[in-house]
Amino acid sequence: MAFVNMERIEKQFNNQTVLKDVSLQMNKGEIVSIIGPSGSGKSTFLRCLGQLETIDGGAITVDGITLVSTDSSGMVHYANKQTMHDLLLRMGMVFQSFNLFPHMTVLENIMVAPRMVKAMKDAEILPIAERLLNKVGLWEKRDMYPSRLSGGQQQRVAIARALAMNPEIMLFDEPTSALDPELTGEVLKTIKQLADDHMTMIIVTHEMNFAREVSDRIIFMADGVIQEEGSPEQIFTNPQSPRTKAFLENML
Amino acid sequence: MDYLLQIIPTIADGLKVTISLFCVVWILSIPGGIVLALLRLSKLPLIDKIVEAFVYLMRGTPLMLQILFMYFALPIMTDGAIQMDDATAAVVTFVLNYAAYLCEIFRGGIQSIPRGQYEGAKVLGFTYGQTMRTIILPQMFKRVLPPLANETINLLKDTSLVYVLAMNDILRITKSIVQRDFDISAFIVAAIFYLIFTFILTNIFNYLEKRFSVYDE
Repeated sequence: MAFVNMERIEKQFNNQTVLKDVSLQMNKGEIVSIIGPSGSGKSTFLRCLGQLETIDGGAITVDGITLVSTDSSGMVHYANKQTMHDLLLRMGMVFQSFNLFPHMTVLENIMVAPRMVKAMKDAEILPIAERLLNKVGLWEKRDMYPSRLSGGQQQRVAIARALAMNPEIMLFDEPTSALDPELTGEVLKTIKQLADDHMTMIIVTHEMNFAREVSDRIIFMADGVIQEEGSPEQIFTNPQSPRTKAFLENML
Repeated sequence: MDYLLQIIPTIADGLKVTISLFCVVWILSIPGGIVLALLRLSKLPLIDKIVEAFVYLMRGTPLMLQILFMYFALPIMTDGAIQMDDATAAVVTFVLNYAAYLCEIFRGGIQSIPRGQYEGAKVLGFTYGQTMRTIILPQMFKRVLPPLANETINLLKDTSLVYVLAMNDILRITKSIVQRDFDISAFIVAAIFYLIFTFILTNIFNYLEKRFSVYDE
């Protein structure tokens, strides 16, 4: 059974359909990139899985546990609070705007969630924080406040912060879109490291070359529907849908 | 000079009333304002309207009228069921009034925190209470320090309104000295007392702003 199963997701904002019958099945260890023009619904789709948006139809299960389902009369049923919370803890999410906590140092940003949410002792968290900050190359910056870091460094802290909760799947929502071009490389390198560790990931991105290099599968979305889906080779060298072709011609 | 030395201790006596009223009201109205702000922002349909109406009432009528109402009118209207001594009536009225003003300041502060902060906390598994306590409110305090300083200094001066309940704060004692001695020096002494107090408060807030400036947003 697929690790993440999103079935026929529907989503409206103010009567405007942003997701129409969007489905995704993925296994553990798989890396899926979602590409497509702005406003295509790809971020919204990811946010539905991250419980930042509620869906108006469809079903989501993670590791066999139902987050939300829709009955035959079209009523959407979310799982109870505890189940939703448990599922949330199995995911890590990284945002376009980093969303670090500006009033905490880098180290505090990493440690606050394990301490508060998992009730871990600082002595247990500190080695984890040190390992993760070393991994993203920022242990030396641990006592600085986020505003003193470059965008690329902030995003790497955000990745470490998500990893500190030991998630089974990482969701990246346009992780490099807010960065200056010369800073995207360091963030992509960090994500690449996770790929080498076989982290399960969904990456919403505009970085075509990166998506091609790192993903097992590419999903192309436009106008709230999946237009085409396949291996990177297939999508980038032999796209079938005219929408995909037009989009890639513009991007590359 | 002898005259000044003679009246200063008497006026300083009023300082006790002024300072204790100020401290009690300040300490109670800040949590009160936070609770009101959170209720006002809550999605509970009736509650936010009730808080809105309460804030309207408290901001829409003079504080002095509220004090008189609490002390004189409430016992009559409730047939003596609610009857407070002057100090209690003053504290209750001030806390309600200041909590209403602070509610609006805190609400603005909370609303100015970007949505990404809530989302960042949510995906890490923070509950609503944890998000507010550790992420939103600490950042809010930095943003509301200037208006909070305003309200704090206002409160110091507003305490003088308790003279209508014949409580012997600085101002009432000063006024009775002036009337007794036909000498306005007492007014100047009172002004200096207020200025010293305000000076201390201003410095406390400057210090807090400096403390909070270790980080930018």
